[in-house]
Amino acid sequence: MRELNKTIFMENLLSEKESLDLIGQMISTAKNNLQKGTGKIFLLWGYMVAIISLLTFILLITLPPETKYYAYYMWFLMFAAYPVHYVLLKNKEKEKLVMTYIEKVMNWVWIAFSISILVVVAGLIIAMVLVMPAFTDVRPGHEFDRWFQWLFITPLLLCLYGFALFVSGKAYAFKPLATGGVICWIATFIILISIHHVHVLAIQQIVLTISAVAGFVIPGHMLNRKECKDV
Amino acid sequence: MFKDLDPLLHSQLRLAVMSILISAVEAEFVFIREKTNSTAGNLSVQIEKLREAGYISVEKSFKGKMPRTTCRITPEGIAAFEKYVEDLNSYLQKK
Repeated sequence: MRELNKTIFMENLLSEKESLDLIGQMISTAKNNLQKGTGKIFLLWGYMVAIISLLTFILLITLPPETKYYAYYMWFLMFAAYPVHYVLLKNKEKEKLVMTYIEKVMNWVWIAFSISILVVVAGLIIAMVLVMPAFTDVRPGHEFDRWFQWLFITPLLLCLYGFALFVSGKAYAFKPLATGGVICWIATFIILISIHHVHVLAIQQIVLTISAVAGFVIPGHMLNRKECKDV
Repeated sequence: MFKDLDPLLHSQLRLAVMSILISAVEAEFVFIREKTNSTAGNLSVQIEKLREAGYISVEKSFKGKMPRTTCRITPEGIAAFEKYVEDLNSYLQKK
């Protein structure tokens, strides 16, 4: 490509064919440009979700029945990822040399994804901690015993993962992300059809672990490798 | 033979710069220099010509302690680029 560039930029008069070739060649330079540092962000959230869901799964199956729903407190560990996310994002901004239209749209897709997750989680937690105790006879300190609330968080989140991953995969023409998205949708379906199962909550957590590995961890490592090659 | 083509765009480096900028929201000077394999001096001159014509906007800022020059295509630039490609196509069809 560099050789071709050298030829094109010699001070020759452009022919109409050369003009069109040059336009085509230059337009393709910024196309599907995945920002350096994207892989690390996928890895951060992928590993966080995979590890926390695995720990929650272990606690759900090992804690005594009266306290087992406190296993979900593990998810507060997710807040620890935010400062790291901020640092990774700042580093990514520093490395950024070009912003394509695809990237601009994808940034908004991931912002919309984060807002969707916030709305789902905040809504269900407020219902559980404030609204349910106010209108029902839940004993103080036992708000989290309303286990059926937990039934909805995981499938909703997984479905959103599927959406964001699939769109990213297609936009960046990076198949592992799109495949990860499809796996998340299949996982959502499995969780929903196993809603009758006595261990449904534990099943949800282990399916979530697998989905996080398939949707974020594996594509994240592949992205890192691709970024190293591209540079 | 090219008298109908916009002379500002019918130049190798300026056309390359405009082609990169039409496909991106914004691009840094370093990126354009790398992709066009041009020298900083020549690229600066051509970018200034495009800016003077109102085809692109140039923003100078700092990334940490490093100076950064970000270029964006303007609506006038998009219109001029589209017209250039149209003229090029009609020329090829006549041929």
